[in-house]
Order: sequence, then structure tokens, then C-alpha cells
Amino acid sequence: MKRRGLLGLLSVLLAVALLAGGCGGGTPEGEGPIVIGGIIDLTGPTSDVGMPFYEGAKAYEEYLNSLGGINGREVRLDFIDYAYNIERAKEAYNRLVKRTGVPAIHGWGTGDTDALKSFVARDQIPYLSGSYAEYLVNIEEAPYNFVVPATYTDQARIALKWVKDNWPEDRAPRVAFVYNNTPFGTSHLADAKAFAEELGFEVVEDQVIDLRALDATTQMLGLKNSRADFAIIQGTSNMAATILKDARKLGLDTQFIGLNWAFDEKVIELAGAAAEGYIGVVPFAFPGDDVPGMADIKSYLESKGKSLKDINQKFIQGWVSAKILFEGVRRAGDELTGVNIRQGLESLRDFDLGGLAAPVTFTAQSHRGTEYSRLAQVVDGGVTYLTDWISYK
Amino acid sequence: MRPRNPFVMDCGVFTTNYREDMAIIHHPGAKLKVLAVIAFFLVFPFMVGPYYVSVANLIGIAIIGAIGLNILVGFTGQISIGHGAFMGVGAYAAGILTATLGLSFWIALPVGGLVAALIGGLFGVPSLRLKGLYLAIATLAAQVIIEFVIVHWPALTRGPAGMVLPAPTIGGITLDDDTSFYYLILIITLAAIVFALNLFRTRTGRAFMAVRDRDLAAAVMGINIFKYKVTAFAVSSFYAGVAGALWGHYLGVISPEHFTIHVSILYLAMIIVGGLGSVMGAIYGACFMTLLPIVLRELADAFGRSFGGLTHVMLSMQEAVFGLLIILFLIFEPDGLAKMWRNVKNYFKLWPFSY
Repeated sequence: MKRRGLLGLLSVLLAVALLAGGCGGGTPEGEGPIVIGGIIDLTGPTSDVGMPFYEGAKAYEEYLNSLGGINGREVRLDFIDYAYNIERAKEAYNRLVKRTGVPAIHGWGTGDTDALKSFVARDQIPYLSGSYAEYLVNIEEAPYNFVVPATYTDQARIALKWVKDNWPEDRAPRVAFVYNNTPFGTSHLADAKAFAEELGFEVVEDQVIDLRALDATTQMLGLKNSRADFAIIQGTSNMAATILKDARKLGLDTQFIGLNWAFDEKVIELAGAAAEGYIGVVPFAFPGDDVPGMADIKSYLESKGKSLKDINQKFIQGWVSAKILFEGVRRAGDELTGVNIRQGLESLRDFDLGGLAAPVTFTAQSHRGTEYSRLAQVVDGGVTYLTDWISYK
Repeated sequence: MRPRNPFVMDCGVFTTNYREDMAIIHHPGAKLKVLAVIAFFLVFPFMVGPYYVSVANLIGIAIIGAIGLNILVGFTGQISIGHGAFMGVGAYAAGILTATLGLSFWIALPVGGLVAALIGGLFGVPSLRLKGLYLAIATLAAQVIIEFVIVHWPALTRGPAGMVLPAPTIGGITLDDDTSFYYLILIITLAAIVFALNLFRTRTGRAFMAVRDRDLAAAVMGINIFKYKVTAFAVSSFYAGVAGALWGHYLGVISPEHFTIHVSILYLAMIIVGGLGSVMGAIYGACFMTLLPIVLRELADAFGRSFGGLTHVMLSMQEAVFGLLIILFLIFEPDGLAKMWRNVKNYFKLWPFSY
């Protein structure tokens, strides 16, 4: 009996040793595929939006390869799941930069993008990200970070500007902020509040909700007591759905406005009737939009036996992000270094995305892709645009 | 010292005086082995790529934290699920000293540990009255309170946005890459191991174990239970604080997201899998738990390439595998990897005449 136990144990040790040994081997250099790194959350608290984003980015990679890749070379986006854990993001970053040797990376969360920005700058790795935090466009502190759509701060400003322009009453509107206590949830707060006060709004309430919360009753009661006219949500789809459901249950008449990650089809699906009237700042197109850029996605999906009904807006977001990153790679020329890809990205001037997002401009002085976004509202379970591409200025 | 044949393995520990009995290393062969292991780790960065060095750094920091927790849970028998928060205290204390006050890292590191020890000792006070589950909940309160304070004291901690920490410098050299930081972590990890091994040869360490085995009996023997329980909390939190301070300066940024209850539970899992009440166990556990997600991911990648669509499933499996491992260890080898390793060694020592 004892012996069998030991044999089992030895075989386990052997297996572990084999596994450890099996992880060796890098990617061959030269005329193989162009490998770009990716860090994404597929299993953590933001996986609700991370998964479709990942699928969209991978879809663009496949689509690009079906067109012959870049300069005849196949492209590959190697994503690593980091479960929204900064330590694992750092590990993934090292894996990509120091073992695979990628020249550019598409990252994900605000906390980890921020944590990595000094390493990114030192290793000269152009870094697009799913995070649109304002401080990532600070060119001195983050010279290799790029932000594709309007930053969270600009999105909040656009929302406030729209409220200002459409406010029917004489008194100042009362505005509240609902967010999660992470770098992602709070990066816009100070600037957005300052802007609200500049517009003469009354900032009445802050409510903090966990990204994974399934109940927001307490926070919604607080919001109700503050009699806020508008509340700006910074979170993900699941969090927004929880808020909308509980707000309806408690009979709030606050108008909620979600920033990019808090407004998509999933919110409508999860919140049902409670989502009716919900407004979102939408920097990317929805699959139902009739825009020229959608044709590529449609033809890709059809080649897979799917249709636009199978994807959501976050898929398009991933697609667009990957498209811009690969455009930078294409413009980098033959020598694929981080510096060249950065210059490639910085040569984008009003880069037309066929209506999938606002045209993107990067220069050596500014990595702020655009200041424009649209606002949309949930009407009869569908998305209706309230505005064209607008800026807060 | 009796003369020994260096080429023959001992089949057991045989000592004739207290001095030999107290030795950390019993066999002369083992001493060579320890030196060889240290030498190996000294040249390790030159043998492998920088990626592996960065993984080693994460493991080294985990080892320090895990030894700290094992001193409290494994050796003193006081459960704690606030270890992650105590790491946070150390990281923030050190971070405030280096980033806000501009002090040297070499002052901030021990001070970070001491502040963590102070806070840890404070939250250890209820342990006099509370045992088992009740103490677990009390330390959970520590976790929640500390996280809350970090988030809601932006004047000191900059709130949820977190702090950017400068890289440590020594004699004009900035320790800002993996290899230079590796040696810093290696030295501190070795010191942490040596201190812990020696701790259990002292009166304090033996008192810890007496408290663990039966605190009433320990009290009857004249051990001041309160003093030793609080000391255990303080020592454990000192380790956590140093690990946290190192971690923060290694990553260059800290935010409340880093020091959640998940970290506390991960460290508990490390010492359960590695072996409660064993310094070596904490080391094995830290290695195992840090490498597990990486190995699972590489596997998921390898399988995912050959069987499309399996990557998602494999990735989601990680959490399940993690839970399953802890249950299996609790059932089949409660003494963890350290015991398994001993079993293997004993098997070969006694082969072919095992009894």
C-alpha cells in the first residue's frame, strides 16, 4: 500500500518535471509570422466584456491573414489571460516581451496598463489597451501608450455636455457618479467632477459598487435620497445591469448614463425592461449599424458561417483596436521594432475606420486617438443614437 | 563529531549531544547540498532568460510571505485570513516613505515590515480570547478594515488610483531590471529562511509550538500565551510587510487591488499545499502556487493550438484545478509537499530494506 502511494507520488513528480520541461522553446525569428502580444481578462471580473473583445481582436487577426497578412507575412495575436490580476499581468508581460519577444502589445485593464507603463516605456513596446484612462495619454509619463477612442474623462465630459445642452429646467441639474473602486472605475472622477462644476452642475453623490456585485440596493437608496437627475456609471455590463435593475425596483427617476464599458447589448439582455431609456457614451459602432466598415466584419463572419447577430459591440471594439495596432505594424516597415511601430502608429492621420469608430489620429505629441464619441439610448430593447460624433468642446 | 563516510547516506538522525541535536543541518553531505543549491541560485540568472528570472522573483517574494504566514498558522496554530492586507500595510508604508517622503528604499523596507508588524500585532490581540473559526473571522475583519482604509485615505495612499514607487538604488546602481532585483530578493529570501529556521530553535519558537499544540498546557508550563500569540502575529506580519514592500518596489506601482482577500487565500493555499508547520513547506508551496497558473496556461495554449476552442475551457479550469488541489492535499497529504518530498527521500535512503 505504502509503495503504491510512493509510486503514484513519483509519477506525479515526474509529470510535473515533464510539464516544466515542456514549456521551453521560443518563437523562431525571421520570416515566420509577425507575433504581437496581448494581455486580456478571460476569466476575471471583467471577463464579461473581455471575452467578446478578445474574440473581435482574434477575428481581425484571422481576417487580416485571409487577405495575406502584412507584407505577405502571417500575423498572430498571442493573448494571455491574466484574470484582472496585476501580478499576473506583469508575468504575462515578461512572458511576451522577454520570451516570445513581441514588438508591441495590446493590453486590457486600467490598473495593469498603468502598472506596466513604465516598463513599456523602458522596453519601447507600443501598448494599446482596453483601458481609456486619461493618464495614459500623458506623453511624458506614458510615451508608448496609445488610447484609441475618447478617454474615460472625455467620455464623461461628452455626457455632461450633452446633459447641459438638453437640460429643460431652470435649476442646475444634480449629477451623481456611480463607479467601482478600482483605477478603472475612478480615473475619470476628479476631472469629470471639475467639468460638471464648470458647467454649473450640482455634484450630489458618489456611489461605489463592486464590479461583480449582484445587488446595488443600498447604493441606489443613497442615490434616491440624493435626488440625482443624472448618474454617470463607470463599470462593466454586469455592474450596469445590476444598477439598472435595482434602480427600477426602488423606483428611481434618475437618468443613468454609462461610459463605454457599461453600455452594450449585454446590459439590455440582463436588465431587460429596466434598461429602457438607459443612455450610453458609445465610441464604437454596434453590429446593427449601417456603416461601411461593417462590411469587412460581415464578410469575415459569413466565412465562418455566422452573422452579425452572433457578435456584440465589444467584439467590434476588439476588431477596431486590433486593426489600428496592425495598421501601425504595417506602417512600421520591414524592421519590426517597437520604435518603428510607434512611429507607424504616430503616422495615423484621421485614420478612417468606416464608421466603426471615430477617425483616429496619433502624432508624436499626442496619443489621444480622438475626442469624439456618440451617445445612444435604449429604446424598445434596441439601441438608438441620440447624437452624431460629438466632442465636449 | 563521529567520523562519517561521506559516500554513505545516513538512514536516520543519530546524535550524541544537544549541540548536534540542535543543528539545522545534520549531515555533512547536506551542508554541501545546501551550498550547491545557493550557488545554483546565484548563477541562475545567467543560465536562463530574463523571463524565468522574473518568474523567480515572483516566487521569491511569495516565499517570504508564505514563510511569514506559516510561522503564524503552521507553527503557532493561529489562523489568519488577513495576510494579504498585512502585505498591503508593508507595501504602502514603504511606498509612502520612498515615493512621498523620498527616503531611501533601504530604510523603507525594514520600516515597512515594522509597521506591518505593529498593525499585525494589533489585530492579533483578539487571538487571546478567540480561537479557530472566530479568530478567522476576526482576521477577516482586519483584511476588510485595512482594505477600506487604503481606499478611503487618499491623502496618504492616493486611494484606488494607487501609488507609483521608485526603483531602489544602491551605490549608483538602480535595481530596475529583473536580474538586479533578483539578487535583492534572493538575499532577503535567504535571510528570511535562515531566520525562520533559527526561530524554531529558540525559546520563542518553541513557545509558539507549545501554544499551537495545546495552549492550556503551555500556559500551565508558564508560557505567557498572550505575549507569544501577539509576537507570532507581529513576526508573521513583519514577513508579510517585507514581502509587500519588495513586491511594490519590484512592480513599481501599488493599488488596493493588489492586496485583496484573494491574496490572503492564495497564501493560505500555499502553506496548506506546501506543508503546515514547515519552513521548507512554505517554500515548496510558494513555488507550486506561483507556477501552477503559468503551467496550466502553457498547457491550455499547447492543447488549444491542437484542439481549437479548448483554450477557453482550459483557462476556466484553472480555478477548479486550484480548488481541487487544495481538497486533495487536505485529504491525502495534510502535511503537504514537504512531507511528500521527505517520503521520497526516505524511500531512497532506506531502499531496498524499508521497514
